[in-house]
Amino acid sequence: MDGSSHLSLIIDLSPSQWHLSAQSSNPHPLSFQTFLSHVLTFVNSHIASKHENTLAVFGALPGKSSMLYSSLDADSGNGNDPPADANSYRPFKVVNSVVTNNTQKELDLIGGLTEEPPVALVGALTKALCFINRLAHPPSGSLVDEAAASADPRILILSVSPDLAASYIPVMNSIFSAQKLKVTIDVCKVFGEETVFLQQAAHLTGGSYIYLERRDAFLQYLIMSFLPPPSLRHIIAVPRQDKVDFRAACFCHKNIVDIGFVCSVCLSIFCSPVAVCSTCRTKFPMKTLQRLNASRPAIPPANGVSNGSPRPPSARPSTGMSASLR
Amino acid sequence: MPTADGTTDDQQEHRLHALLPFLQTQSQTSLTRLYQRPSSCLSIFRLLGAVERQLVMNLLWLDLPIQTSTMSSWVTREGKALFDDALASLARLHFLSNNSAIKLGLSTTFKTSMRHAITGGGTSVSFGVPAEPDENRSAPSIDALDAYALERWETVLHYMVSSGTGQTPIKPSQGVLFLLQRSGLMAMNQGQLQITSSGFQFLLHTPHSQLWELLLQYLQMVEERQMDLVEVLSFLFMLSTMELGREYSIESLSDTQRAMLEDLRDYGLMWQRRASSRRFSPTRLATTLTSSLPPLPTATSTGGAKDQGFIVLETNYRLYAYTDNPLQTAVLNLFVTVKWRFPNLVVGAITRESVRKALLNGITADQIISYLTTYAHPQMRKNRPLLPVTVQDQIRLWELERNRIKTQEGFLYTAFASQADYEYVLNYARQLDVVLWENAAKRCFFGSVEGHTNIRGFIERRTGGSGG
Repeated sequence: MDGSSHLSLIIDLSPSQWHLSAQSSNPHPLSFQTFLSHVLTFVNSHIASKHENTLAVFGALPGKSSMLYSSLDADSGNGNDPPADANSYRPFKVVNSVVTNNTQKELDLIGGLTEEPPVALVGALTKALCFINRLAHPPSGSLVDEAAASADPRILILSVSPDLAASYIPVMNSIFSAQKLKVTIDVCKVFGEETVFLQQAAHLTGGSYIYLERRDAFLQYLIMSFLPPPSLRHIIAVPRQDKVDFRAACFCHKNIVDIGFVCSVCLSIFCSPVAVCSTCRTKFPMKTLQRLNASRPAIPPANGVSNGSPRPPSARPSTGMSASLR
Repeated sequence: MPTADGTTDDQQEHRLHALLPFLQTQSQTSLTRLYQRPSSCLSIFRLLGAVERQLVMNLLWLDLPIQTSTMSSWVTREGKALFDDALASLARLHFLSNNSAIKLGLSTTFKTSMRHAITGGGTSVSFGVPAEPDENRSAPSIDALDAYALERWETVLHYMVSSGTGQTPIKPSQGVLFLLQRSGLMAMNQGQLQITSSGFQFLLHTPHSQLWELLLQYLQMVEERQMDLVEVLSFLFMLSTMELGREYSIESLSDTQRAMLEDLRDYGLMWQRRASSRRFSPTRLATTLTSSLPPLPTATSTGGAKDQGFIVLETNYRLYAYTDNPLQTAVLNLFVTVKWRFPNLVVGAITRESVRKALLNGITADQIISYLTTYAHPQMRKNRPLLPVTVQDQIRLWELERNRIKTQEGFLYTAFASQADYEYVLNYARQLDVVLWENAAKRCFFGSVEGHTNIRGFIERRTGGSGG
């Protein structure tokens, strides 16, 4: 339990959302500057906890993702080496200056866009997973110490953007890889409405999902809930969400559906009964389609966790389409 | 390494860092002085257990103390005992403000310094003043520093290991010799320093714990030498937060700390161009003081292989050690019968005689096994379990062999007049639970020393009673 641990931090850098978050009409306005200073303190606390702890910071920017800091190649002096200072611990100073500079650089790059594409959260998540995979499998003959390899890795997503329905499949795939790599995904929803996919990500990987209510106490939230490494969480309880929204997005229109129709061969999800599965090209009998169409509720429930009336089970599940209750 | 390292992790979990008990015995005043320096706070924080660290962090940014019950609601039911232990340990270190029974809060000094450590800032100058770059001479490279630290450290160990063998290796400095003698690792024997049994055990420890063992001894001696303990500790902690390969200026050091420079140079914790130099560089030994997995200077010397492991052990008790390092060879020689030596390879076997020799020197079977585990060759790491079970068991059996005969002092009661007499006394002795051995056919039994007066009195009363 006292081994080193790895933290990959994903920061959502959507300028428009951060603009909204900083508006004083919010109950607890949180500007990006304040947010960043809290995050850096949190990150320093992580490095402070153990000499061997490793860290990577990724930014999810509109339309692209990039790595802002990694403790693997931080030591090489790459231009933005801060001047040494007798009053601060150097690793902290390096992290602070590298993360701040790189964030500023990335944000300057996107400055000119008129229309903001959605943030590439999936890209950042995938990069984080690849990074952890690299830590877990050091190339043979390299000098990467075993400490990093045996670290108990986790990803923390600090999200401000709403769900992007189109990214349902990639997010799910990332969750599965995370499960396979035994990576815990923690999510802190700093601003905006709850996100369904990230709730599921945290739930499926054993992490914790927290919706930030008191944003003036952001740092305390971070430290109490996300600083304990997963191995410690059987002693220090961290809050988990008791209600998880398990809804999925359909494959055809990428809508989040309350009642989906699932291909019985490849488990693709559709929002309405289809004659041919677009993924595996299975043809479904006309009769099944008619029956499923007939049994659809006239007005689907508008929102919320669905508890629609029980659907009649498909007569021939082997070749038919079945309605899924989520 | 789920099998091999899994067990060592568990051990670490329950083992306090060697320095913490020492700190806990210090007075609150000196600890508070120590906590005025952010680097000391950060280093001590890193030596704490995981639960303690988390608790400190939870409390760090709170302005007011919170109810203890609120904090304990963050702990699972299984973790309650650990949580209470952690609180007690923090209180002993005077991290917590005084009324910790009801309300939890960090002591003001510690909180201020720790916040400074995390965020930077303040004017404590506790992380070392970097020296101005010197145009004429460049700072020593990391490799040079590693080589220096290694050379110093191995001189000490090599001197210890070969002290009894009649060889005359390079002598470490007087200060080191004195420290070794004070710590009981070596003792004066017929005018010569000889390694003791705790010295043998010391050799098989990991470099990290060896270092701390010596430093603790150093700290114990500090008051005799009329040095200020707080200055000494804060200097050590400052070293541990410094950056490898960087030169620091001695300007900001106090007199005590300047006096320490020489000792630390001897131990290999820091490097100076000349004794009078105005700058110094910490070596890896110093900068990894607060890490639990020591990436110490490479254990093999010129082989170029940076791996720690070099030992291959086979099920037939044969041992191949890929090393040309005289120190490692000498340590292996403690419990291995060396058969052949090649330029980069030592071949030997673990035999009953060699292990018994080690056991007689005071080394335990577990220490041998943990040494072999620590330095196992990467090839061996694929094995599950890491070391052949037969060899492990046999080493343990050889240890048990020494414990086969147990001596106990006592008295033999014999020549009873009749069987009834014998049984009567024996029953009495049994009630006292002092019978070690009995033989009804020969009418004798053996009782321990403790019961002798009682039994003798009993027999005397009986014979006296029957006589009178």
